[in-house]
Amino acid sequence: MEPSSQPQPVMGVATGGSQAYPPPAAAYPPQAMVPGAPAVVPPGSQPSAPFPTNPAQLSAQHQLVYQQAQQFHQQLQQQQQQQLREFWANQMEEIEQTTDFKNHSLPLARIKKIMKADEDVRMISAEAPVVFAKACEVFILELTLRSWMHTEENKRRTLQKNDIAAAITRTDIYDFLVDIVPRDEMKEEGLGLPRVGLPPNVGGAADTYPYYYVPAQQGPGSGMMYGGQQGHPVTYVWQQPQEQQEEAPEEQHSLPESS
Amino acid sequence: MPDSDNDSGGPSNYAGGELSSPREQDRFLPIANVSRIMKKALPANAKISKDAKETVQECVSEFISFITGEASDKCQREKRKTINGDDLLWAMTTLGFEDYVDPLKHYLHKFREIEGERAAASTTGAGTSAASTTPPQQQHTANAAGGYAGYAAPGAGPGGMMMMMGQPMYGSPPPPPQQQQQQHHHMAMGGRGGFGHHPGGGGGGSSSSSGHGRQNRGA
Repeated sequence: MEPSSQPQPVMGVATGGSQAYPPPAAAYPPQAMVPGAPAVVPPGSQPSAPFPTNPAQLSAQHQLVYQQAQQFHQQLQQQQQQQLREFWANQMEEIEQTTDFKNHSLPLARIKKIMKADEDVRMISAEAPVVFAKACEVFILELTLRSWMHTEENKRRTLQKNDIAAAITRTDIYDFLVDIVPRDEMKEEGLGLPRVGLPPNVGGAADTYPYYYVPAQQGPGSGMMYGGQQGHPVTYVWQQPQEQQEEAPEEQHSLPESS
Repeated sequence: MPDSDNDSGGPSNYAGGELSSPREQDRFLPIANVSRIMKKALPANAKISKDAKETVQECVSEFISFITGEASDKCQREKRKTINGDDLLWAMTTLGFEDYVDPLKHYLHKFREIEGERAAASTTGAGTSAASTTPPQQQHTANAAGGYAGYAAPGAGPGGMMMMMGQPMYGSPPPPPQQQQQQHHHMAMGGRGGFGHHPGGGGGGSSSSSGHGRQNRGA
């Protein structure tokens, strides 16, 4: 009994330890190799599985987010353009229904005074302030509508000055207003400009205005304070003057010390 | 024309306490009127900050000066002393406000019809009537020229001129909206004079967010 039972375990142990029986050792190595092969395969397959999946998932997610953002932007633009189309259709309808020209939404005398502020203006016909009364109403409505679009994009219900600044920045026909908003901001922040009058529309005078306006932009405090306000487009607009401020010192030449 | 609008100046002056100085007040339209118009463009639950109203006040005055300056230059070139409605409409077209011109043409046409009836109806003050009849004739001639110049599309041209002939407004169908004219847009840039703004994409009808173009303000 003992020899029959012991030989099996004894033979296995002896094979691994003493190596006295080469033929049995030759028979056992294949058995030892068999468990080794499956042990190597799992580690090989595990690292390969997640690698191809992660980049694919990231790429898919990124593309999906990009497409969603693009669709949202397109829908937003379509909605805004639709609002503008409805706005103009309403204006045409309202004008066609107008029968009373005595009660204007804006005082004609005040419009005439603003027109007369230009010294080149001599005489104004009676119909000119009437046309302006309607034109200014349309102008206010369109500017307010475009500003409100920016208010809605920022999830607010109160129309603010930076919304108007954003509308002016986005709309080409409002280029003549770009100087109004920043000047107001600087005025609020204590940087009073000596000249309070409206910028002149004459070509010659307009050429000199930008030169005069440049020193006002050199105030670092106003730029920083304005940048802190809400409204990303507004911040982007004001980053330009800050860059100019940084460039100014570089252009300055330091005087060499004379011995 | 009697200045009945002075009544609106009173309460507006009271509403705009910060603009108590008469000279300061004359530079802007009353803030109450501006605020009332702004609310018409917004939802019922929308609010408007004070600085937003004041900013729009300044923008409107700038708009009036901008258009008036261009119209005044045109009158000087043509050796005329009086700025009329057609000069303003021409200036708006030149400065990029094409969308405004078509509605305002209808508005001006109806106003002239009513003014014509008023002048004909009034029997007292023959001198006033005589003085008022001459300008309308001149305006009508200039109106025809302005109307023709205003419409670049061949289809809209005859329609506009037909309306100028005095045909009833209600009989004719409303003309189609004007297409965006890129040339006028460029002319608008030229009209600015000193400011070298880069002409960004999109016309007056659409809102485009091209921030890069805004940076080139000739600084």
